[in-house]
Amino acid sequence: MLQNKKEKLPTPVVDFDNAKEMSRYLREPEAMYVGAPGKHGYLRMGFELDKQGKSIMRDLERRAPLIVQQELYFDEEMPEMPCVYILSSGGPNVDGDRYRQDITVKKDAYAWVSTGAATKLAQMRFNYSGLVQNIILEDNAYLEFMPEPVIPCKNTRFISDTRLVVAESATVFYSEIFMGGRKYYKDGELFEYDILSVCSHGERPDGKQLFREKFVIDPQVEHPRNLGVMGQFDVFANVIVMTPPEMASKIYEKTEVFIDRDRKLAAGITRLPNNAGLLYKVLGMEPGPVKKMVRSFCSLVRLTVKGKPVPEEFPWR
Amino acid sequence: MSEQNDMIKVMRLLQFTDSQFPVGTFSFSNGLETASFEGIVKDAKTLKDFARSQSHQAAYSDGVACIHAYRAYKAGDYEKCKETDSYLYAFKMNDEARLMATRMGKKLAELGVRLYSDNFVKEWLKEINDGETPGMYPVAQGIMFAIAGVSEKDLFCSHQYGVINMVLGAALRCVKVSHYDTQLILESLSEDIERLYQEASKMELKDMNAFYPELDILASLHEKGNMRMFMN
Repeated sequence: MLQNKKEKLPTPVVDFDNAKEMSRYLREPEAMYVGAPGKHGYLRMGFELDKQGKSIMRDLERRAPLIVQQELYFDEEMPEMPCVYILSSGGPNVDGDRYRQDITVKKDAYAWVSTGAATKLAQMRFNYSGLVQNIILEDNAYLEFMPEPVIPCKNTRFISDTRLVVAESATVFYSEIFMGGRKYYKDGELFEYDILSVCSHGERPDGKQLFREKFVIDPQVEHPRNLGVMGQFDVFANVIVMTPPEMASKIYEKTEVFIDRDRKLAAGITRLPNNAGLLYKVLGMEPGPVKKMVRSFCSLVRLTVKGKPVPEEFPWR
Repeated sequence: MSEQNDMIKVMRLLQFTDSQFPVGTFSFSNGLETASFEGIVKDAKTLKDFARSQSHQAAYSDGVACIHAYRAYKAGDYEKCKETDSYLYAFKMNDEARLMATRMGKKLAELGVRLYSDNFVKEWLKEINDGETPGMYPVAQGIMFAIAGVSEKDLFCSHQYGVINMVLGAALRCVKVSHYDTQLILESLSEDIERLYQEASKMELKDMNAFYPELDILASLHEKGNMRMFMN
């Protein structure tokens, strides 16, 4: 299904050196330099309907260490849905890595995107690892972006900027799960990273800005254990759902919010500014139950928008 | 106004910061009601931790915005003020917090028009009423303090005092603490002010940030729940 004449463009620049919070982490790594081949991943995926009305991945461009092979159709509840795993041949994100991922879902098309395994952020000594994402949905398009958790190791530094450009009639489910660290490594390694800076912002195709959420987690400044931050919890999930207001209202009404001391799980939902959709957050102790919450929330979104649920997760995931 | 002497400026600072200043600060609890119900805030120690998180969360968002609005007024840059307003509105993720900020922002702009014959604030209120700008409270604070000739640092103190005092005022009604406890907490949290101002005053709008998921979930429970001692 891939285009034969692939367009080769220079790898887009990913540069956060002007970000205030990264100013302490700008030294050139002693090993491979920033942006060296194999440390500057690029991925461009474009989904659209073919002449028969089947949603396919028409456009694919990738550079090491990011790997995407082809779309598969394994979703039992929605067998027409192209499903893609993003893999990395490089193992964890290391010092000075840069990544860019551009995903476009054209008019009426739909897709499901995840990662093959958790994204590990390795220990860093000189620089940081950065990720830029552009996710573009045209009219009535639908995307579920549900990657495996991010695991930040001791002294890692990570920054991301995700731009969601979504037509008013389209729906994007965009989730991220952050572990506190390698909880069971040695004596436990929780919140020992240097910094996580995560920004997601939504806009309309005409450029109207809808919302902007930015976390800067620097345990030296504000420890995640503090009351109101993560409190007693170890795992955090953040889900942005941009969807038309009538869909958002239905999802909002059906979403359960709670703090459960016994299950050590909490979930909350609110409406995004400017009628952009919903924001759902989950806190828990282990990735399993948090992933389950995110998945069942995704199922509610899919049921509301597409009239079909999300199938049970594979037992090996 | 900027010619006025220091004593008048202190009077203005006290006036705008006082809980009787009619913008409605006393009606909101910033999620404390739910935190108390859930047993997360149950005594002076946990109340202090909760109030500190609220204060720090506000410093790097509302605090940054009020400083930018203040500077925009001083520079006569009306458009920058509008940009600050829509930026802050888009940054406020919690629906209830947005509602609170726009209600209080409009009330403050209404007061501004009555207190001062100033075209900037007149136009500001008109644009809020016309739906041309969201009218967030911290932006109105910035405008008012600039009109009154009160300093930027004093504005930031007033903003922080407002956040902490809103929580502590609500705590007297829904947490088992005494007036002595809340005053000790206020006394202690005030010591962070200089560091917070140093950081916030250097931030661009794009640097605004907040990571308080537990507060967000508490706010969501309040938003969807039945607890209604305080407004939503």
